[in-house]
Amino acid sequence: MQFRLEKRQEPSQLMVYATPVAAVLLTMIVGAIIFSLIGYDGIGAVREIFLTPLTNSYKWQDLGIKAAPLIIIGVGLSIAYRANVWNIGAEGQYVMGGLAGTWVALATYGMTGPWILPLMILAGVVGGALYAAIPAFFKVRLNVNEILTSLMLTYASVQLIYYLIRAPWKDPMGMGFPQTRLFSEAARLPTVIPGTIVHLGVPIAILVAFVAWFIMSRSVFGYQMKVVGAAPHAARYGGFSESKTIWLAMLVSGGLAGLAGILEVAGPFQRMVPGFPTNYGFTAIIVAFLGRLNPLGVIFAGVVMAITFVGGEVAQTTIGLPNAATGIFQAMVLFFLLAGDILVRYRLRRVSSIPASGAA
Amino acid sequence: MTITRRTILKTGAAAAALPLLGSRAFAQGEPLKIGFIYVGTINDNGYNYAHNQGRLYVEEQLGDAVETTYVENVPEGPDCERVLRELAQQGNKLIFATSFGFGDSVIKVAQQFPDVKFEHATGYQKAENVGLYNARFYEGRAVCGTIAGHLSKTGKLAYIGSFPIPEVVMGINALALSARRINPDITVKPVYISTWNDPAKEADAARALIDQGVDVIAQHTDGPAALQVAQERGIIGGFGQGADMSAFAPETQLTAIIDNWGPHYLASAQAVIDGTWVAGDTWEGLKENVVEMGPYNEKIPAEVVADAEKVRTGQIDGSFHIFTGPIKDNTGAERVAAGVTMTDAELLSMDWYVEGVEQPA
Repeated sequence: MQFRLEKRQEPSQLMVYATPVAAVLLTMIVGAIIFSLIGYDGIGAVREIFLTPLTNSYKWQDLGIKAAPLIIIGVGLSIAYRANVWNIGAEGQYVMGGLAGTWVALATYGMTGPWILPLMILAGVVGGALYAAIPAFFKVRLNVNEILTSLMLTYASVQLIYYLIRAPWKDPMGMGFPQTRLFSEAARLPTVIPGTIVHLGVPIAILVAFVAWFIMSRSVFGYQMKVVGAAPHAARYGGFSESKTIWLAMLVSGGLAGLAGILEVAGPFQRMVPGFPTNYGFTAIIVAFLGRLNPLGVIFAGVVMAITFVGGEVAQTTIGLPNAATGIFQAMVLFFLLAGDILVRYRLRRVSSIPASGAA
Repeated sequence: MTITRRTILKTGAAAAALPLLGSRAFAQGEPLKIGFIYVGTINDNGYNYAHNQGRLYVEEQLGDAVETTYVENVPEGPDCERVLRELAQQGNKLIFATSFGFGDSVIKVAQQFPDVKFEHATGYQKAENVGLYNARFYEGRAVCGTIAGHLSKTGKLAYIGSFPIPEVVMGINALALSARRINPDITVKPVYISTWNDPAKEADAARALIDQGVDVIAQHTDGPAALQVAQERGIIGGFGQGADMSAFAPETQLTAIIDNWGPHYLASAQAVIDGTWVAGDTWEGLKENVVEMGPYNEKIPAEVVADAEKVRTGQIDGSFHIFTGPIKDNTGAERVAAGVTMTDAELLSMDWYVEGVEQPA
């Protein structure tokens, strides 16, 4: 008995939605086998990583605040990637959003008023968008590959944090430690569910995803993004400007990464510290693809990634699974997803063992 | 009650939830659960390895009276907060947060779990249930600096640091002061790589420094990467940090600063078991064996070893303190008058470099 891959007439809609789910399930099965073979409690590892964060209600708040930045950045990236604009530097735009918001928080230190937080958020969005404008400019004007420029700018943004918190923004009461002071009350993100750590960023993330979904599926903007990405020649013929699309894609994805950055600094961190960049911008790339570049899918994907982070820690404390296991599980999800993608455009067909003449 | 499929399902679900609740309870007579969080991995053969050795020491000494858990590679930020809550919620009554950047999170979580005792290494924020502990690494640096002062031919030392925090600045200054006691022409070039644990960055920094003529390297990061580069390039030497790293650089490790956290962890665990724990603020060094020196490399001449030993024993009996004036800073201004020793508070907020240290970029 043999199998053959056969091209489908139309990409399979079923497979588009089935493969992400299958990727997660396969990861659980293969993960359980691998970790059992190397001497860990494989079933337990899968249970602790994928199920405990869901069954233990105490963990939901952690999932929410871990998923929120991933969803916000992932939504932005999915819009850009739809348009074939490869913004890999969301981490840098996240950092710049955080820094821009921090600047407002420090400038208004000690002041009160309901305008401070919205101003910080605005600054964060603008900061992220401006930082993404640099690769957009070079792409449009000089055709410089945005993958390289956006990625390299990430490293520059991290150095900017170090510079700012070592000198101009250093906490005067911090015994010389390189960090800003704690933001005053008005510059901190409020929690939305009393008694938990769920901050305003969580509902904002859901809102962003829904708004983006609506825009992408209902507006000319969304249509333009998709057409330019899928069929650039047709798009040009249809009058959509490629440069304008690049600008929009970079500004939107950068702005959303910046939004995630300011929400993160005003929420969980409440001050700028050297540990602010935590790879959300890079993890969100997996999230965007796992979510099928669909803003609503990104919500699902963001939660799945959050589960692996939170569950990875549970597995460390309960069954002593090493931290690297989390990374292995995350990598397997992406691996199976990309491998499974072939089923969207091809189907597996059983063929008889004697190949038809000429077909082999 | 009629038994229907639905009620069976309900009861089953409730029963399934029970063990979950039960495991959260903490009863008398049970072992004391102790949690540890590490910023790097326990296989770094350095700082985190040393903390984990301390954890194993507690297990070995107290046996069934304790049950320890650790979480490694915890980032310094909100992720740390979640891990701390996870540990507290799982019934750990004593939690050691072993890296400086965990401080904010420890304070926040400690407020939510007032019956859990926290101890934060190398930090500065205390609370009713948050104690601090630290080691006088700089005493070890003074021994290293003495050796470096004798052996360096180019007169250029380097110091690979993580972040310019007082703990690291203090180490750089102790190395410079002690080396310049031997050879006043020596300079120290600090480089900050903004991470505690990134072997690639540590190695890159070491290579760049060696290319600039540095022949003795010290580092305040978690692993042996810089030392391995030093071994490869065959420079005069380097120092192990956190643990004995001679296995990675047998010819190059001149000596090592070994962190020995075990006795402190044991004392804290015992205090919690006895109900006598109070939020302390300990800062111990060579005298209390919290800081120990590794073996001296065979290639070090005997008189240099003798000099290094003099510095070591002097710090143990209290006759020598590396931060005794006169001390000038690297702009030439006198910071500490002759005969005056800096106080702990001054040391713990040190943000200037002594004469002979290049101002880092």
